[in-house]
Amino acid sequence: MTVVFSIEAPYRGRYELHRLTFGSGSPRVAIVAGMHGNELNGMHAVNMLAAALRAQRPKGTVHLFPLVNTFGADEARKRWPFDDRDINKSFPGDPDGTAVQRIAAALLEATDADICVDVHSGAPHVRELPQVRVPLSGRELELGRAMGLPLTWRRAGARLEATGLIGAWRDAGRHALHVVGGRGITLDTGHSATIARGLKRLLAHAGLMRTADPPETVADVTRADIGVHRAPTGGFFVPEVRVGARVKPGHLLGYLQMPIGGDRIGELRARRGGVVVTVRAWPMVYAQELLVRVAGTEDR
Amino acid sequence: MEARPHSRPDSEGVRWGRGAHGLPVGLLALDRACRVVRAPGAAVADLSRVIEIELPSGDTAPVVRRRFGQGERRVVIAAGIRGDAPEGIRVAHRVGAYLEEHEDRLSGTVDIFPCANPLAAHRGTRNWPFFDTDLNRLFPGKEDGHPPAQVARALCNDIAGAEQVIELRGARPAFSEASQAIVRHDHDVSAELAMHANVSVVWRRQPGPAAPATFAHQFPGSIVLEGGTGNRLTTGVGNDLADGVLNLLVHLGVLPDEGLPFHWAAIQRPLLVTDAQVHRVRAERGGLFLPSGAIWSEVEAGGVVGTIIDPLTGEAREEVQSAVSGRILAIRELPVVFPGTMVARVVTA
Repeated sequence: MTVVFSIEAPYRGRYELHRLTFGSGSPRVAIVAGMHGNELNGMHAVNMLAAALRAQRPKGTVHLFPLVNTFGADEARKRWPFDDRDINKSFPGDPDGTAVQRIAAALLEATDADICVDVHSGAPHVRELPQVRVPLSGRELELGRAMGLPLTWRRAGARLEATGLIGAWRDAGRHALHVVGGRGITLDTGHSATIARGLKRLLAHAGLMRTADPPETVADVTRADIGVHRAPTGGFFVPEVRVGARVKPGHLLGYLQMPIGGDRIGELRARRGGVVVTVRAWPMVYAQELLVRVAGTEDR
Repeated sequence: MEARPHSRPDSEGVRWGRGAHGLPVGLLALDRACRVVRAPGAAVADLSRVIEIELPSGDTAPVVRRRFGQGERRVVIAAGIRGDAPEGIRVAHRVGAYLEEHEDRLSGTVDIFPCANPLAAHRGTRNWPFFDTDLNRLFPGKEDGHPPAQVARALCNDIAGAEQVIELRGARPAFSEASQAIVRHDHDVSAELAMHANVSVVWRRQPGPAAPATFAHQFPGSIVLEGGTGNRLTTGVGNDLADGVLNLLVHLGVLPDEGLPFHWAAIQRPLLVTDAQVHRVRAERGGLFLPSGAIWSEVEAGGVVGTIIDPLTGEAREEVQSAVSGRILAIRELPVVFPGTMVARVVTA
């Protein structure tokens, strides 16, 4: 384990950015997790991958960063707790700037690799089927599909601003993959294991290791193939499905009720068939908020 | 069940609805430093709801607008985009109180949005609660987005076409700041107007990477007024900014200069600066920063603006020095710092 960056902290020990390195030479892969301190499925998945890499030396270099935002994780907070800044909105960073800007600059420099992966959980109020978010075409799409995660979500250029790590990697000419799975604040062991298997398949595809795990993809879609169900009004949302469930048109996805008294306000039914990839976990919802996403082109 | 006024049919044509709620009583009660205080619950004829956010528990949070005067010429004054800037809200109400008494003298319309982010202001936090989102990074917003994005869109829709937009803020969190007007670096007209805002500095500022999603950026000639102390009221600064807003209305020709609550000669003559004249002073060490320089005091190049001490032993770790000679525009008042944390801004003439 190497400390690639550290900075003095008041009242406690220094902040340290840790890197685990396995193997040497090319190709080089960097996998980052825990940039948001309340999203630790990625940390668990990366540590599972580390165990596999201890048993099987890779033919190339794998850099793992299991937990970037240690201070945030200590407090179950997404952002850097001192000034509430999001590290993932601070790229490319500044080695002479604020603590968060220095961490961002150090992380970008330390992840100088051919293939880079940033692993997140879903937000604390939603649960996401493990997925890789990739561009509509090109080498990153090929790599993302090779992960064999349950969902491959091909997306246009949105959310790729250079202030985020994915955008900064792309600006630096690296192949960047954005992986999301499970829910923030909680540890989803099953989803973490799924992500770890996807990371192994990626390394196998790049020729760094072997794996016998078969692909687990159940949906490979674009935005147009995803049915988004939002709350028509505020209330208390009770889901009737879990992520990964297959549904047909008309399937009951959940219902909204009055928070006090429980009168049912209305039901949410699938407009298309497919796989449930996102489910609202925190039940108090505002109007227009995302409740369920269904990925699939069946019976539209 | 009674349908909410703004509930709408979903894609299946089913109307979802719940009971409606009224505007919270006493919404416009003002603080003691204001010259006119409305009794809680008193009727407010000029009050409109720009948008009303329904909360999951059944309550509502309205974003309101107060309108004074009439006519096509329209000046907009907006405060409370973030919930940790009560100074701006106080100034908006002070200006509103004056305009209410002198509405018959207005040559045009003045719209005041006293608090664009009521739920954040309710908590005293920068971000919109639950979504933990900075409203000032969501403009121009989305009509079908989550509530903060809807508010951003509603504000833009309502303000579109205004001749002049003035945004009122407080100081940035953890800092005390001299009163200042911030305008876009390439907008000569607003820079010239801002010289009448009764502030210490007019800062022609280059937009940063986040600027396109801010409120002020949606209206190119907007003037942002700020100062005081982060998340606190600073009476002197609040009075200066309120007088400055009224003086801006005079220079825009919307308000006559007779009967103003200040003499024209009392209006400050600000220093006009660009980014090149505003220097950040950063901590080299982590610890507790103890400021020694006062706001708007002079500092020489190499002069000490504060000391960083070890938080456990009290031992001095660093004397933080200004690299330039000038005046202290902002100084950190929350003492905990990391290496690289900005502790002061010094502005040069």
